[in-house]
Amino acid sequence: MSFRGHTSVASRSYRAFEATAPVDRASAARPTSASGCDNRDMPDSARFARQIVLPGFGDAAQDRLTASRVLVVGAGGLGSTVIPTIAGAGVGTIGIVDDDVVETSNLHRQLVHGTDDVGRRKVDSAADRVRELAPDATVVRHPERLTAANIEEILSGYDLVVDGSDNFPTRYLVNDATTLADLPSVWGAVSQYGGQVGVSWASRGPQYRDLFPTPPPPGSVLSCAVGGVLPTTVGVIGSLMATEVIKIITGVGDPLVGRVTVFDGLSGGFRELAYGADPDARPVTELIDYDAFCGIAPADAATTISAEDLASRLDDVTLVDVREPWEAAIASLPGAVLLPLGELPSRLDEIDTSRPAVVYCHRGIRSASAREHLEENGIDAVHLDGGIDAWSRLVDPSIVRY
Amino acid sequence: MAEAGSSVVVRYFAAASEAAGLEEERIEGTATVGELRAVLVERYGEAMARVLASGSFLVDGVVSRDDSRALGARVDVLPPFAGG
Repeated sequence: MSFRGHTSVASRSYRAFEATAPVDRASAARPTSASGCDNRDMPDSARFARQIVLPGFGDAAQDRLTASRVLVVGAGGLGSTVIPTIAGAGVGTIGIVDDDVVETSNLHRQLVHGTDDVGRRKVDSAADRVRELAPDATVVRHPERLTAANIEEILSGYDLVVDGSDNFPTRYLVNDATTLADLPSVWGAVSQYGGQVGVSWASRGPQYRDLFPTPPPPGSVLSCAVGGVLPTTVGVIGSLMATEVIKIITGVGDPLVGRVTVFDGLSGGFRELAYGADPDARPVTELIDYDAFCGIAPADAATTISAEDLASRLDDVTLVDVREPWEAAIASLPGAVLLPLGELPSRLDEIDTSRPAVVYCHRGIRSASAREHLEENGIDAVHLDGGIDAWSRLVDPSIVRY
Repeated sequence: MAEAGSSVVVRYFAAASEAAGLEEERIEGTATVGELRAVLVERYGEAMARVLASGSFLVDGVVSRDDSRALGARVDVLPPFAGG
């Protein structure tokens, strides 16, 4: 590949982004500054002096940042690091996609949101922060979930995508849509004490599917909600993602195409893994049903109960909580018997079978396993779709989400 | 590329490294992806089996889903992360 193997900073600038970042289109949409002075083609030289002076950077690189339009998918932990960083660096247009609201359990790592933002839409909170840091930037809020139906229209307004989402269907969706549009996608992900970061860019090298061709079975990979996450991992990985964004836009350096950087917070070390195209991969030709692709089946009425339905018959069922005691201490449904999933097989006799059993957990993954176990042992049961988290969202907001 | 019985360097990332208790080792006497998977599960048990069920197995940087594939000089075991 043409951008690999060079040594000097200047020669490593492969100028590829010029083709995908038309200056005129982006700058035409830029507003005038608060003073009324139209400065759209003149980045504030004092504000950006410390990066303009960098070898191989200069005014040309800063102009490219001003003209660029970056879509950040997810205003969670990674978005919290990426969004203010690229705003500070001078990216001219920042789009933010997120359909979630700020939760108290987000605040330890999602530093773009403050305590007063709990309950607000994440796109609003993050957009406020961008305006503080970069009053000249254009912020576009997309308070919705990315889907196969809306992603192509949303992507049409951007030159580069940052994927800091928190689920596999969105990751494969973003990969496929950016591959079809040949947009660079900077992706990052965290788990517990570590993280990974890479760049997918169809015309330049391998993509996310070449590294992870098959999504993991649902529930087999820990989410932050279940497995926990050290807050600094999103700072480290988010900063690396923002670095890739700046490099790709300005043409400085070698983007992480065909390489993944893996961070381990416990050892304090980074390792790199190089990868190439998957020879068995089928080319991406269209968007698909990503929930189905990732094995997430629509709720089955025979085995699940919705939060709303459960609310209407709460007094007529035996409620079994298969979470851990520390989780039950944070939030519980009234009248539930606590039987952690690992102890369930040896404590089946504690379940009152005189009424229909409803099993629940945090988000409906463990309860699905528990329900199957009960069925195998002759106990009829359904499980709560989406767990206590769905209960809090749909029935009783006073139940703490975690 | 590799002959039967040759050795391969296996690099473990994230949960694979936790399961193995080390980041890298040389394993002798395995010729195919399937043989190496079996050795890893035998050696490191259930935790490694879980990683192999959801993670990627890259032979000299190319992902492999085919157990009959011959090994090369290096294998990387990388679990996917979803968290953001």
